[in-house]
Amino acid sequence: MAQKDLLSIDEHNKYIYYQVVQQPGLTADTFQNRTAYFLKINYPKNKVNKSEATESITGTGKLLMLTGISAAKHIDGEVRYFFNIEYKDQKYRYWLTDFVFTPYYVDRYGNSVPQPGIDIPLENGAAKLEKGQLNNYSIQISNYSKQFGDKLKQYMLMVSAAPIKSDKKKVITTKDW
Amino acid sequence: MKKKFLLLLLAASAFSYASKAQDTVKTTADAPLVLYGSVDTYYKDDLSGHGNNIPTSFASDNNSISIGMIDLGLKKTVGNASFVGELSFGPRNDQSVPTSGYHIQNLYVSYNLTSKLSATAGYMSTFIGYEVISPTGNFNYSTSYLFTNGPFQNAGFKLTYAFSDKVSLMAGIFNDEWNAYTSEHDVSTFGVQLTITPVKNWTAYLNVATGPTSGTELDLTTAYQITTAFKLGLNAATFSPSHYGGGFSGVALYPQLAVSKVVTLGLREEYFKAKTVDAGSTYVLAGPLPGGSVIGSTLTANIKAGPLTFIPEVRLDKVNKQEYSAFTNSSLAPTTSASQFVLAAVYAF
Repeated sequence: MAQKDLLSIDEHNKYIYYQVVQQPGLTADTFQNRTAYFLKINYPKNKVNKSEATESITGTGKLLMLTGISAAKHIDGEVRYFFNIEYKDQKYRYWLTDFVFTPYYVDRYGNSVPQPGIDIPLENGAAKLEKGQLNNYSIQISNYSKQFGDKLKQYMLMVSAAPIKSDKKKVITTKDW
Repeated sequence: MKKKFLLLLLAASAFSYASKAQDTVKTTADAPLVLYGSVDTYYKDDLSGHGNNIPTSFASDNNSISIGMIDLGLKKTVGNASFVGELSFGPRNDQSVPTSGYHIQNLYVSYNLTSKLSATAGYMSTFIGYEVISPTGNFNYSTSYLFTNGPFQNAGFKLTYAFSDKVSLMAGIFNDEWNAYTSEHDVSTFGVQLTITPVKNWTAYLNVATGPTSGTELDLTTAYQITTAFKLGLNAATFSPSHYGGGFSGVALYPQLAVSKVVTLGLREEYFKAKTVDAGSTYVLAGPLPGGSVIGSTLTANIKAGPLTFIPEVRLDKVNKQEYSAFTNSSLAPTTSASQFVLAAVYAF
């Protein structure tokens, strides 16, 4: 479903996906541990900024902008973003912002690679991109951001941060019946 | 042969640290099956009113609305393994593959041995030069003498290692002949590409391909996106066949300026010299006769309409002396210059 309206404008006139989540019974330390595990498992390629602060985790990531039919996609480019996840006792908040689009081109080997020197902040998209393109990318960024938040919430609610190992499959023997 | 494999292995094992292989940048691990390609068509008018004065590759039909090719590529990455398969059909294909009627432009598999080292094997576009076969990969629609006379593709095996995000090295062993699906005798062309990114948005490739059958080409290809509107590219190369002299050397400059959201203007200014040949040489190149040189000036516009690009282009080539020129004027008399107009449309997907 198209959800480009999930993006808002912040005080710096930048697009932002912003959520505050109340989670009674959990401390800031717990939020931090679970956030670190969430990022490690789900976004291993994201760069996490090293910081002394214990009340937040920040970093950068990127997502591909795809077009075309579901069976075979075309890569239009990538969008890089900044993320911030902050916590206090009983609640946490997070946002994704600084969305910057870089178009890809197909190089001589057939690889899709970024075009050097072309960075288009989403806020400037109307001037640099076609309307349909901008709309499509905004929807993809919104869906990605929502998915980011939904996954984060799942991990924040996990009693154990470690993945639950599934039970071994029961072995059926046909000798006894 | 064994020595070259040993050299290759030594080169690979000597590298110690790096970040990403620039020679084969991957589309990221979570990329789906990706479809890409292009379709192109053109009209050309050689201003002599006849024939095909300028002998560089493609766009060869005069006073005709003609087709280039349809290019269809599929690629997929799963974990550390990836493949690229690219087929093309049409006159541009037939002029760019070893056997007219065959259709493979790229067919290779690749594997990331580590996060810094990748291995690739198959038939792939050459690492030499600035211009490429696909019309979406070039700014100008007509091609340079350096491109036309250099390799188009190499079949072989290569390792690429990145020392950092600014320096990487490719070393490979390729079939003895360029632009051939199979080797004539053996796998004896050694290729190296050193990639350097001195500053952001500026990349330079130093290339060497050498072998007892293929000859030796030294090549510098570089492009610098100086501002968001202005890009400067440069290609310089020299080639020597293995026997009896001949070959070429040249340099081409590619300044390009985006003048609006949809229009970019670009110039290709090329100097190309045909080396002299010894008695017994069978070497033939597309360009001036041995010992002569040509200056090719090409002014091109790229006008974007979504995935479609219109490419109007005017070109003037001038050979240094009549004795080295194969150009003819409208009366079919020998002359030192030739000019043409091209209007092309290229759709990329």
